[in-house]
Amino acid sequence: MTKNIDSVTLDIVKDSLIAIGNEVFYSFAQTSMSPIIYETLDYACGIADSEGHLLTQGNGACGFIGLISPMIQAVIEKFGKENIREGDVYIINDPYMGGGSHLSDIGMVMPVFYNGEIIAFLGNKAHWSDVGGMAAGSFTTDSTEVFQEGLRFPAVKLVDGGEISQTLVDMIKSNVRFPEAAEGDMWGQIASLRTGNKRIIDLCEKYGEVVVRESMTRLLDQGEIIARKRLSEFPKGSWEMEEYMDDDGHGNPVLIKVKVTITDDEFIVDYTGSSPQVFSPINTGYTSLCAGAKIVFMSIVDPDLVINDGVFRPLRVIAEPGSVLQCQSPAPTSCYFESMLYATDVLWKALAPVFPKYLGAGHMLSVCSVVLSGTHQDTGAPFLIVEPTGGGWGASSEKDGEVGQFCVGDGETYNVPVEMAETRYGIMVDEYSLHTDGAGAGMFRGGSGCVRKYRAMSDGQLFTASFGRNKYPAWGTNGGADGSYNYFEIIRADGTVEGPMAITARTVLNKNDVVNMITATGGGYGDPYQRDVKRVAEDVRNGYITLEQAKKDYGVDVDPVTFQAVRREEN
Amino acid sequence: MRIATDIGGTFTDLVCIDEENCRMVAEKSHTTPPNFEQGVLDVIKKSGLSPESIDTFIHGTTTIINALTERKGGKTGLITTKGFRDVLEIARCNRPDLFNLVFSKPEPFIPRYLRQEVAERMNYKGEVIQPLNEEDVKSAVKYFKEQEVESIGICYINSYANDQHEQKTAEIIRSLWPEVFITTSSTVTREWREYERTSTVALNSYVMPTASSYLNNLSKKLESIGFKGKSYIMQSNGGTTTFDQAKEAPINMVESGPVAGVYGSAILGQIIGESNLIAFDVGGTTAKCSLIDNGEVKVTTEYRIGRTDNYAGYPIMAPVVDIVEIGNGGGSIAWIDEAGSLRVGPQSAGAVPGPVAYGIGGTEPTTTDACLLTGRLSPGNFDNPVDMEAVKSAIVKKIGEPLGLNADDAAMGIIRVAESNMYNALKLVSVRRGYDPREFTLVAFGGGGPMHCASLARELNIKKMVIPVAASVFAAWGMLMTDLRHDYIRTHISPLAETPVEQINDIWKEMQEQAEKQFIDDGITASQMVCQYYVDMRYLGQEHTVKVPIPAVPLKEEDKDIIKERFHEAHEQAYTFRLPNAPAEIVNYHLVGNGGLTPPKLQEIAPQTGDVEEARISTRPVCFNEVGWLDTPVYDRLKLGAGAQFSGPVVIEEKTSSTVVYPGQNVCVDKYGNLIITEEGE
Repeated sequence: MTKNIDSVTLDIVKDSLIAIGNEVFYSFAQTSMSPIIYETLDYACGIADSEGHLLTQGNGACGFIGLISPMIQAVIEKFGKENIREGDVYIINDPYMGGGSHLSDIGMVMPVFYNGEIIAFLGNKAHWSDVGGMAAGSFTTDSTEVFQEGLRFPAVKLVDGGEISQTLVDMIKSNVRFPEAAEGDMWGQIASLRTGNKRIIDLCEKYGEVVVRESMTRLLDQGEIIARKRLSEFPKGSWEMEEYMDDDGHGNPVLIKVKVTITDDEFIVDYTGSSPQVFSPINTGYTSLCAGAKIVFMSIVDPDLVINDGVFRPLRVIAEPGSVLQCQSPAPTSCYFESMLYATDVLWKALAPVFPKYLGAGHMLSVCSVVLSGTHQDTGAPFLIVEPTGGGWGASSEKDGEVGQFCVGDGETYNVPVEMAETRYGIMVDEYSLHTDGAGAGMFRGGSGCVRKYRAMSDGQLFTASFGRNKYPAWGTNGGADGSYNYFEIIRADGTVEGPMAITARTVLNKNDVVNMITATGGGYGDPYQRDVKRVAEDVRNGYITLEQAKKDYGVDVDPVTFQAVRREEN
Repeated sequence: MRIATDIGGTFTDLVCIDEENCRMVAEKSHTTPPNFEQGVLDVIKKSGLSPESIDTFIHGTTTIINALTERKGGKTGLITTKGFRDVLEIARCNRPDLFNLVFSKPEPFIPRYLRQEVAERMNYKGEVIQPLNEEDVKSAVKYFKEQEVESIGICYINSYANDQHEQKTAEIIRSLWPEVFITTSSTVTREWREYERTSTVALNSYVMPTASSYLNNLSKKLESIGFKGKSYIMQSNGGTTTFDQAKEAPINMVESGPVAGVYGSAILGQIIGESNLIAFDVGGTTAKCSLIDNGEVKVTTEYRIGRTDNYAGYPIMAPVVDIVEIGNGGGSIAWIDEAGSLRVGPQSAGAVPGPVAYGIGGTEPTTTDACLLTGRLSPGNFDNPVDMEAVKSAIVKKIGEPLGLNADDAAMGIIRVAESNMYNALKLVSVRRGYDPREFTLVAFGGGGPMHCASLARELNIKKMVIPVAASVFAAWGMLMTDLRHDYIRTHISPLAETPVEQINDIWKEMQEQAEKQFIDDGITASQMVCQYYVDMRYLGQEHTVKVPIPAVPLKEEDKDIIKERFHEAHEQAYTFRLPNAPAEIVNYHLVGNGGLTPPKLQEIAPQTGDVEEARISTRPVCFNEVGWLDTPVYDRLKLGAGAQFSGPVVIEEKTSSTVVYPGQNVCVDKYGNLIITEEGE
């Protein structure tokens, strides 16, 4: 047996593993050809041990949390470790398999061999601009089956012992709309896995295989120790919450129901009783559902923890197969984030009164995804925008809500600058501002949503959007008022207005038609009459609320010139 | 005579090369907030230099970064294109603190009610879509007067392509209100991305009043002691500028101190004949590193003030030397996290209460304390009498006992974790960007750089290290060696193959004229000015660019092939692959202008005559990683002459720093007094 390894060495190797995880993450963004990857960072990279337990994960988007290891485990399960060879890379995007989200998110898995044995796995998952299917950008709001949504890879070998499968590459390239970008991103993903592979081998050379394996165990165990420690401090009990999410796209209500139970050693999130899967692409697979639960779990355990499967050992997520939250083939999933985020939100809402320090009022919730394709007015080149839209966040027990932020499922995700959009895409942006509707009143106020107006500069552009949270506003908490809704309208060149609406697929925009996208203001926290009078006056001065709202919602009279303010006696 | 003064958090440093008397003067005095200029006068006085004999005064200061981090700038208004006043507040919608659902995003420096919109619009090509509404500008000025702002920033959409409306707006404001400070975005940057540009304008406007009053006071004070020479300010791009220009674009001074050390490393490299260097600076709270490739200091415009892993910070699009900084310095506190792992930093004991060794109330063990317990430092290195028992007991109680380690192992554990953090930072600037550290020389400075470099260099397989003279005031030394520098960056996107060479040359010509004008204002003639040309390029469809040096301007058609090849090389260097058939695109044009200052001549030290043993102060046990305790000779650096040679293990002490050399490493003192450390057999 080896001599006892000192804990400092294990910690140093552990930190090196985390640093490798970060390196693999950033190297990919810098070479990518797709704005959704390099600008929006809609991807994740992770390292797992030889059994597929996640050790560390670099995330651009929160929604990818924990999708890497189920994907690796799916590969192990399908092929068997004994059949996995050095240099292999597997490709997987099946929404119903481990790590599934929607077909646009392409996963890749690579084993790391040292001395002829698997010592680790690397995985990454990235949103490709297009994977084929019925609509440009592949993700649409009107699909009724997964077969309309593009290429589906049920974990197949893309690279065999270092040899790329040209057959597969040719098939991919002839089935997608932007073959160069797809091939570029494919190689970017493979290259980042190979970088990670090299770094892990270097680490084994430096410290020896035994130390590296021990460090991996330590990493997982330490994650679990902290999670369990927090769990022991949590109040114990069961909390229930149910909400209708907008609808299924055909006018039928969709129920999301949760019961969360905290015991001494388990954190159980049970979605039993939620609606069955629907014929529109808002269904989510099980692992994406878990990702949402993991976000909320992380936020109350310790948001700064290094993400690994050890942390999540106490967490159990239950959903019924065939429900909208654990859909089965051939349910469409291209807007899976709508139900996934609603499930996250319902869990959040159930726990907000229990953990007021970590969970504030409701936010704009939806990705508010926009897909716009067409040709550039000057160059004639085709363009494709795939992007989220920022909105307002809820207030919490110590502060106002934040303005203009992407939803909880995003994260270190960036908007596309106006100047870049106007150069690359066939649009002009008429306005990009805060949606100061003054909703979300409270002792702490909900943050404002956004207004973003896109003017088409050429004919025949196709606009697809999914703006969830369009029927029920962002919720207030502890006496705070509700926020508002997400929607958009189309102002035609002749002045006719279509909408407000929230979901559309491939609506034609011609030159000088304008899409006016408006996102929700977050919910408020606490009684508005408790809000500091001076802050109410500042809110009016800054135009976040009107004089009338100050008077009506906050009971404060503000002088429009001097901004002197007094609160009327309560009636 | 030329002197450099550098204001840091704790000390104000002075370095001067006195060519007449063949000596280098280095002095330190306390920093004196809030009247920082007093510290400058103090250090000059302490140095004994006569102010009349100073002909060139170069200055680095933390005034600007302090004004920003402490929010002590002036009341500022912003004028934007109609529909876009909230760009500054929306920022980029990103949330680095992924799982914190009650996060706070950076609060804008200019509140919403002080952001006014005017009707005007350019398209992305710089064509006027809507003319400037001058009435809107006038009413904004009237409003700002009522609000008593001190400074006004202007940033319009697409002004990087055409700044006519911004210039006109500034003109109108000036005519109505000559006293107010004004910043147009095009004077600070002409790169695209409206949020980053607006943020740069906002921050620049915000600190203009501070910069102006600080520089005016400093000039007056310097005059009052008889100084009659020329004054320059160190900028974040690694070069200097005049006080007058610094008042117009003070945001360029934001990182003036740290970058000087990097620039100094490049100059030192020229002197000792090394062009591939890694500058490594360890201070009290942080360690900083930066890579110099083939003599070139890397400059980026993606800097963000206050950015951390959890916080987006505030972007400034001004050129800043590319530095990686981590929270690990001498004062970094060692602690055990919840899961039982030993951690060092980022929290620092600072100057007060400081490490336990300072004896002024510090109770948490720091890297400095661990260095003391392992013999890297001796109690004699401190100004105060050191209570070794207190140091030992803090390390044992806080680290040793929880981990089941004895005092020595606990102290070594702290050093190993601290060095592991530094190691990862050094890898970040080298390996992660496609450079092999074995091809680089490590220049280590700051109080702690010389103490950690030998072990780090070994881990990274770096064969050669340099500990410069006056390592602890090396940033000021770097300033002394700098030249006037202005960066001009413009975004013009076009595929390389399809862009006529005439068009490229026209852009360069325009930028050259702008540079010449600015240098003439600095008192430099066009013939003294030296220009370097770069383009930021990428493959069509990519976002991130790489910087490519280009042949002399004007370009000829065949130069395009050279540029393309250089781009492929740079891309492969940075990202490990090239796409030989993919079209390449130019995004930015970057002109670097340097002007005529001649750096002072370095002074040589006396040659080593007797035995190096004469420099020995003592012998003490020092604990080395993987080797254990060794009786180690300690030398006084000042007593070593040029040509002295000896091998590790050895500790070389100087006033404010201590160099640790491992067994198997050789030391040679060069003719200027720099310590050159190499691995045996190299």
